[in-house]
Amino acid sequence: MVKKEVNKRKKPIFKFSKAMRMKLMVLFTCITLLFCALIGRLMYINYTSGEKYKEKVLSMQSYDSVTIPYQRGDILDSNGTVLATSVAVYNVIMDCSVMNATTKVDGENVKKYVEPTLEALLECFPDLDEQTLRGYLKNKPDSKYIILKKKLSYDEIQPFINMQEAVDEDGNKLNPNIRGVWFEKEFQRYYPFDSLASSVIGFVSSGNVGTVGLENYYNSTLNGINGREYGYLNSDSDFEKTVIAPTHGSTLVTTIDANIQSIVEKKIKEFNDTYRDNYTEGDGSANTAVIILDPNTGAVLAMAQKTVFDLNNPRDLTGIMTEEEKAEATNEQILAELNKVWRNYCISETFEPGSVQKPFTIAGGLETGKLNINMTFECDGHEEIGGHKISCVNTRGHGIETLEKTLMDSCNDSIMQMTYLLGIDTFSKYQGIFNFGQKTGIDLPGEANTAGLIYTAENMTKVDMATNAFGQNYNATMIQMASAFASVINGGYYYQPYLVEKVLDADGKTISKTEPTLLKQTISNSTSGILKKYLYNTVTSGTAKHVKVDGYSMGGKTGTAEKLPRGNEKYLVSYAGFAPYDNPQLLIYCIVDEPNSEEQDHSYYAQNICREILKEVLPYMNIYQDEELTGINNNLGITGTDPFYTKAEENTPQE
Amino acid sequence: MRDSKRGVERRPMEKQGEEKRREKTSSYFDYNLLFLIIFLVCFGLVMLYSSSSYIAANSALFNYDGAYYLKKQLRNIAIGAVGMIALIFIDYRFWRKLSVLAYLGSFALCIAVFFIGSDSHGSTRWIDLGPISFQPSEIAKIGIILFLAMTLEKVAKNLKSGWNLIKVLLLVAPVIAAVAVSNLSTAVILAGIAVCMLFVASPKYWHFFFVGGAGVLFVALFIAFAGYRMGRIEAWLNPEAAGDGAYQTLQGLYAIGSGGLFGKGLGESLQKLGNVPESQNDMIFTIICEELGLFGAVSVILLFLLLIWRMMIIANNAKDLYGSLIVVGVMSHVAIQVILNIAVVTNSIPNTGVILPFISYGGTSFIFLLCEMGLVLSVSRGIKLEAIK
Repeated sequence: MVKKEVNKRKKPIFKFSKAMRMKLMVLFTCITLLFCALIGRLMYINYTSGEKYKEKVLSMQSYDSVTIPYQRGDILDSNGTVLATSVAVYNVIMDCSVMNATTKVDGENVKKYVEPTLEALLECFPDLDEQTLRGYLKNKPDSKYIILKKKLSYDEIQPFINMQEAVDEDGNKLNPNIRGVWFEKEFQRYYPFDSLASSVIGFVSSGNVGTVGLENYYNSTLNGINGREYGYLNSDSDFEKTVIAPTHGSTLVTTIDANIQSIVEKKIKEFNDTYRDNYTEGDGSANTAVIILDPNTGAVLAMAQKTVFDLNNPRDLTGIMTEEEKAEATNEQILAELNKVWRNYCISETFEPGSVQKPFTIAGGLETGKLNINMTFECDGHEEIGGHKISCVNTRGHGIETLEKTLMDSCNDSIMQMTYLLGIDTFSKYQGIFNFGQKTGIDLPGEANTAGLIYTAENMTKVDMATNAFGQNYNATMIQMASAFASVINGGYYYQPYLVEKVLDADGKTISKTEPTLLKQTISNSTSGILKKYLYNTVTSGTAKHVKVDGYSMGGKTGTAEKLPRGNEKYLVSYAGFAPYDNPQLLIYCIVDEPNSEEQDHSYYAQNICREILKEVLPYMNIYQDEELTGINNNLGITGTDPFYTKAEENTPQE
Repeated sequence: MRDSKRGVERRPMEKQGEEKRREKTSSYFDYNLLFLIIFLVCFGLVMLYSSSSYIAANSALFNYDGAYYLKKQLRNIAIGAVGMIALIFIDYRFWRKLSVLAYLGSFALCIAVFFIGSDSHGSTRWIDLGPISFQPSEIAKIGIILFLAMTLEKVAKNLKSGWNLIKVLLLVAPVIAAVAVSNLSTAVILAGIAVCMLFVASPKYWHFFFVGGAGVLFVALFIAFAGYRMGRIEAWLNPEAAGDGAYQTLQGLYAIGSGGLFGKGLGESLQKLGNVPESQNDMIFTIICEELGLFGAVSVILLFLLLIWRMMIIANNAKDLYGSLIVVGVMSHVAIQVILNIAVVTNSIPNTGVILPFISYGGTSFIFLLCEMGLVLSVSRGIKLEAIK
């Protein structure tokens, strides 16, 4: 006690005095008041602006969604061969904010990701420029999205990913400091056969916009729905994060057979290469196009033309415009050129079909009873109608012609005389029955409308009818001609031509299957049978002899149409035919527009192409030879010349 | 324990000797305060994780680790807890001898930061020492508390004179000035701590109107001369029209306003999904408001009030003036930071970076706050329970 008092005196212990307690109480009261004021402030904010701010918060939600791209459906041929597909490609994205992040190493703030990542980038993508990359890091240090490279395949980005993921035996990353580069996945359309069936398939612009062809016609079917990874507010205004998987697009199974298509394109190319610069400088023809149909369904097995383009690079005009021309051309001019390249001749171009029309005229006559198989007509080389003198192909005259002979000789005079028997009403009615002037409705965009390019009963004169009867003076498209011709030889069934036979979902399950669409009965079975026989003889011993493939029974009709303006010696020659005779399995229709030759008016340009195509396609389609081999045409090539080819044969009467 | 205050107050000096034998056995420890601290720290961790996980989990900077901030905070708490426990068991009177040293040391560090500091958010506030980096200004807080407690204890009898008051203030002015250069808000806190301690120690009231007035004038002048703060003033006066400058303030207000009475529920904040910048830091209170509503926010404020009340009790009953003043300093520190932080997020004052004690993410600040709590608890251990019978 004493000691303590001594201590106290020595070193007095100051206590918290009453006054101090009082002041502490004042301080505490002040603090309490301030706290209350802040609570008041909180209440005030909630009371005055609560609802407004609540809406603000909800309206600000961007739902931070990330798009997960869908995969556009494939386009397959009838055997499942992929004609168009979408492959995953990757954009290289640099995130400067991550690369520039600083970390502490030995007390120093260092950007340890910059150098390893740049090194890896430059090693894996040698064409990147180091200075540019450093420029991004310096000038846009916070940017999270800089596209360094676009549309690389997985193989191209794999080295980088390998480097980034490489681990040693213990599972530790070898390159932990490669950061701030990621790969954005998207899909790119890829056409494995480049230019095969280019106008039919079409291509895709800006990722998912089908341009020309099936890609355009079936755009919405092929496209899927993008998936999303996003947050949303549920009914309680709670934030939830959800991933919605993308719905991939549907796949088209087409009726096109890639093998037949490539045979056809090969032969067209061969023809054009052979005739290039033959008579005048330039291509082997203004155009050459071929359609092969299944006459029993209307399914298009091949649809080809001279002008092809690389679907993987559809805007390349190399060989059409020089760089200088392109630089000078306006966008409209370039687009016009491109549209010419992309145009599908077989459906978009109209022309005077020529004598391939003749079977339709005779079929109409037989069907109405205005012609019968016993009738004969005398061809004297020309016919005078309403003051016009219209010549037959053989100006000396074919003499007496039966219906069959008319087709075999392709006699214009006899056909013109037949129209007198038919009359305008019947003739124009049958033009309508064979669907001229109407679209076929084939599942391709850009089918030409020929309604204004034919005569109707109201405006048809006798001259019009007479010339129409052998395929001049009105216009049709190839697909119209082929479809109508198919009905003549298949028993009179007019099928709508089509290209897509099945639609599959992303898992390969069939969503829909196209049943052949029978649009109408054009002629009776028996009329069809008669015409088939006439056409068979036209190939066997008529104008279409050149098309004959040895060993196969075939029928067909040639056409040599004089183009407008008349007298310019410009022709569009054609051949429409079928095989085999008994049960036609395929129909081929070929046109050669202005063959590059001194004399264009010979249908054997088209016949040669057809023969060369059929030589390969018939065996491929497992159509067996059904006739004795005679060696006919065996030595003919795409030009039709062979050692036995004589001038006399060339004088075989054409139409 | 509820009666401890009353009991201690009424302790008759004469009976000291008789009670002496009890001194050893019935020493006091303020478990109320300890549990408040533990509760606040745990609540802080929950809110920190809630407010930071989305940002952290979606950023390559944090390795897509949602618990990035949580882990770092746990580490800081662990360090802070060690410091706190150590300080509880060290008799606080030990620090009296070191007070001057603590003051000079923190002053030196605050000066040193100009020369060897590193940048963050536009101001130089950090000192980097290899694996650890810290803010000297946070150390200055504890330095000033210890130094002023020691000084005021010595001059308590002479504080009636206003001149002495000013002399004491001038003693701490260099540190406050040094801090103010780079970190005005911390300087304001330091000045506030000093003024509060002086206010309690001095028998006068009216002096403090001048001190308070001078303080306001000082802050106003500083704002006027420090250009970068001008934008903040505009943002404060009219946040909705101020554009980018008021973005943080406005987003914070949206968060507060959209919470309603009971909030959207823990973890359901929308504003933390990238809208409120630094949502784990200065702005964490806005996320509390949004998720737990007005109810949660008021609860948090009341918790702080409870904490401050406990400290007042300890200060009132401390064994000596030194201990009392330490507690007053710590109490002022916590109170000022809470008030400033909530005032900022409610746009009651211009935006300045003050964190919410125990709850916001913080390194140095958190560690030293826990150390200060250790000091307070150490003072509480010194209280004797003689009067409780």
